[in-house]
Amino acid sequence: MKYSYIEPRKKSPFTQEVQLMVAFFSITIIMLFSTYLFLLYKDYNFQKDQRNILTKQVELKKNIADMKKQIAFINKQEALGEKIYTQNSVLKDSIANLFDLVPERITLSKAKLLKNGLILYGITPNKDVYNFMLQAPLRSIFQETYSSFYPAKNGWLRFVSTNYVKDDFAQEETNSNEN
Amino acid sequence: MKIKMSRHYLYILLSSLFLFLFVLLFAFLVLIPKGKEYRQERLELKKSSVKLQQYQDFHDRVYKKLKDLQSKNRHIITAFENRFDATRFQKENKNYFASLKLSKVVNGADEAGFSVYEVNTTSHIASPANFYNFLDALNKSDWIIGVNFPITFQRDAEMIRSSFRMKVYANKEDINTTKSKSEAK
Repeated sequence: MKYSYIEPRKKSPFTQEVQLMVAFFSITIIMLFSTYLFLLYKDYNFQKDQRNILTKQVELKKNIADMKKQIAFINKQEALGEKIYTQNSVLKDSIANLFDLVPERITLSKAKLLKNGLILYGITPNKDVYNFMLQAPLRSIFQETYSSFYPAKNGWLRFVSTNYVKDDFAQEETNSNEN
Repeated sequence: MKIKMSRHYLYILLSSLFLFLFVLLFAFLVLIPKGKEYRQERLELKKSSVKLQQYQDFHDRVYKKLKDLQSKNRHIITAFENRFDATRFQKENKNYFASLKLSKVVNGADEAGFSVYEVNTTSHIASPANFYNFLDALNKSDWIIGVNFPITFQRDAEMIRSSFRMKVYANKEDINTTKSKSEAK
């Protein structure tokens, strides 16, 4: 039996008010969660970058330490190299000076250059030539100078001149006594 | 006064209140602390980046210094790396001597962290000038060589017989530091 002439309107729990509320809160919650996800992602990225930076920093520190070691070693090589080159140059000048020191009238037969002295063997026309022309300049260089003469067949004198720098001479003497 | 409200509106009101409370709590308890953390970490990352840049700059300066030093001392560095070769040495220096003989190559005591070979040398030279030229050439040779005392010059007919000891310096085997290990980043 029908009580009404019109069809009943279908009723739904999603009324317009409910739809409005759901839409509003859905948008709000989506925005909140997306912000949160963005922050989480950024956080993860920062941590990753931080780890990378730390790794790079450690690597750079290691490289710097290695390079500093190399620099120190090259400086050491340079110092030793320069020292040896200088020693060679000084030695060259010393030998040149030695040969310049010997006058034309005196002939050397042997010269022995020591770390702390000089031993010369040679022949001189007489003692005076030796004393004035060779021994005098030698005395100005060396603190200890000893000379011995013995006659040569042609009437000239053979000589042995031993010259030492004083401090080293004392040390040399000590060493030879110990031996 | 009596408020008359249908059950449907009451549900809506309660749901709205609950959701509003959730949004509020989520924002204040989760989102805002996370935001603060984000700002903090961004600041720290910036600081770390600045520090890294400083390290990088320092690294570049040290690297430049090393390269300059290496190019300035290339001859000395390679000379220290070379092992002494008696035959090659004789070949390179034969012009200065009428005869040159290297009698013994022995390992001497290490000096200042470098290994040292000692070489006894006997030679004949026409004049002292040849010996001076030889000493000059030593400083340009492929090895680090120092002429050591005692040095003897003895007259031998028209020639001068010289004998001296040379010290050849080289890097120790275990030290390869001059080979550039760190390349530019």
